[in-house]
Amino acid sequence: MSLERSAEILGQGLRGLRRNKLRSFLTMLGMIFGVGSVITMLSVGAGARAEILARIGELGVTNLILNSIKPPEETKPADQEEWIARYGLTFDDAEYIRAVVPTVSDLLRVNRVTERAWYGSRRIESSVMGVEPRHLSMFGLTVGRGRTFNTIDDRTRSKVCLVRPGFVRQLETVVDPLGQFISIGGYPFEIIGILEDAQFRSHTAKALNLDGAAQEIYVPYSTSMSTLGTLTTIQRAGSFEASKVELDQIVVSVRTPEEVFDTARMLSAALAHKHEKKDYEIVVPLELLQQSEATQRTFNLVMILIASISLLVGGIGIANIMLATITERTREIGVRRALGARRRDISVQFLTETTSIAVVGGLIGCLAGLAGIQGIARYTAWKAIVEPHYVLVALGISCAVGILFGIYPARRAAQMNPITALRHE
Amino acid sequence: MSDVVLELAGLTKEFGLGENVLRILHGLDLVIRRGEFVGIVGASGSGKTTLLNLLGCLDRPTGGRYCLAGRDVAQLDDDELARERNRSIGFVFQSFQLIPQLDVLENVELPLFYDGSPRKERRPRCEELLASVGMTHRLHSYPTQLSGGECQRVAIARALVNRPALLLADEPTGNLDSKNGAEVMQLFDRLHADGRTIVMVTHNPEIAASLPRIVEMQDGRIVRDTPGTARPRPGTATLQRGPGTAGLQPGSGSGGLQPAGDARREAREEVGARLEPGGPGATLERGAPGLEPGGPS
Repeated sequence: MSLERSAEILGQGLRGLRRNKLRSFLTMLGMIFGVGSVITMLSVGAGARAEILARIGELGVTNLILNSIKPPEETKPADQEEWIARYGLTFDDAEYIRAVVPTVSDLLRVNRVTERAWYGSRRIESSVMGVEPRHLSMFGLTVGRGRTFNTIDDRTRSKVCLVRPGFVRQLETVVDPLGQFISIGGYPFEIIGILEDAQFRSHTAKALNLDGAAQEIYVPYSTSMSTLGTLTTIQRAGSFEASKVELDQIVVSVRTPEEVFDTARMLSAALAHKHEKKDYEIVVPLELLQQSEATQRTFNLVMILIASISLLVGGIGIANIMLATITERTREIGVRRALGARRRDISVQFLTETTSIAVVGGLIGCLAGLAGIQGIARYTAWKAIVEPHYVLVALGISCAVGILFGIYPARRAAQMNPITALRHE
Repeated sequence: MSDVVLELAGLTKEFGLGENVLRILHGLDLVIRRGEFVGIVGASGSGKTTLLNLLGCLDRPTGGRYCLAGRDVAQLDDDELARERNRSIGFVFQSFQLIPQLDVLENVELPLFYDGSPRKERRPRCEELLASVGMTHRLHSYPTQLSGGECQRVAIARALVNRPALLLADEPTGNLDSKNGAEVMQLFDRLHADGRTIVMVTHNPEIAASLPRIVEMQDGRIVRDTPGTARPRPGTATLQRGPGTAGLQPGSGSGGLQPAGDARREAREEVGARLEPGGPGATLERGAPGLEPGGPS
């Protein structure tokens, strides 16, 4: 069949849609919703995936994070009034890991302090983290105003701190917060820098064992050890409970992602050797990454299923309307056959019509989906990524649906006896 | 005999299977030559519709031979029949059968489309034909916007567009008022004058009587094959009655005389004055006793 003739047949098919605009549109609705949801889900899925990858990537795929956790059996015995729970990672652990795990290229210690910060006479909600200077760059904590602290601050145990903009807002002060002093555990700390309000990512926070309030104060590790110590006290209804955790977190770096899982096994073995109780956890961002990719695959599968169902419904709608149309146009089919149309010509005619409906519906669905994505991007925090090939995939699918669900009606039309078709009332 | 357009030999058609076989056509023999204008008449149930379907290649006979333009079409498959319908036959229906969603020009183009001719070549041919039936002013109208007479003129143009060997008309005036009917009949007369071969099924005795040759059917058999009374239709400018048709023998495929173009034109001139009192089959006598040939010999 020549190109010109194909184009003419296609033109006739498209003209068929205009014949009964409302019906064509209603028939298309199934495809519009189906394709629209395919495009939207693909884009939102890709956005979610990219964001998760970015979040986990931020933790560093070559990092392993060890967190101290309170073992469940570690509760205060009823007969004692004062009691200090000791658990978690120790200084010794850090040294031991450095000594026995050969793949470790770097090791950073983190001390979390639960002392409250005071500004003048007001208490400011915050959590204080004692971190080594390299920690800041490793986790992408950049200073917006002021300066960061360096190894000299760490060595000299200078009482300086970095705060978040959210913390600054809580200060409710009109003076420049830089150079102001806040009191943590009775010690005055000078605010030397304000961190950029990097989008606070819950995933990161969870893995780093932070609370989500974006209220951390970062102080040099050595300073935190010498001034604030490792003892945490919680006062509760008259009694008081304390816990002593030497290291709240150890961040271990390796050189290549390939070493991550071996290192994790070695760390696990080393720590199991040192700890009787499971008072620590090993978080492997690479593992999280792979898990989330697996989750993503499942999610994608579910999306494909849902999209297939809506496309199936759309296709059935098209087939249904085409069957009705064929009954309605029986005489036309008879006339065409009398004028010399072969069965194949009739098949092609109706297949072209169903495919036109499906593809035009698919196109409208694409536009609706893109509009929906814009809306989602504007009114929700979700990120959506539209790749050009989604549109091609969606149109390909609608074309396939049109042909697939056109086959039966087209066959029915082609198999009609021209004599009875001509006499059809 | 290259001028034989259509030849039936022992054509039968049965419907049903086994015990319930219903024989509609009982062995028809018929020869129609180029340029003839044949009317087929008969009561309903006489088998003329079935015959028309067979002649139109819409159906296959159960037995016998059907040669159309020298080709035996009785054994053709579905696609080949479609091709015959497309190239050798032009249909004119009682209810016009124009496709409502196509305009006049597109309706006329349809047979050419199915013949695979490119769009550019279709247009001039269709416009020319529509001009010849006086429809130039409505090329882009839709059938619903046309009167019945106009519809039938468009349908005739459509039937002619592929230069068919045979024009089959099924009660072409049945849905028209007398004025439009007369116009359409004039058109057929003109086509006949141009040398086209026309087979027309009609119930209308007046029209039937005016045709040059009448084939009467009864109970699935051809009971009479006679020339019509050569009465001029009122208002017909160019009437033609071939004298040769008078010599046709009922049920015979060999006795017909084909009027040559010149003879026909001469005949047309004398036709107004000539009434043939002694001519065979001067009036149409349905079911006249003793005249049934009892099928073809």
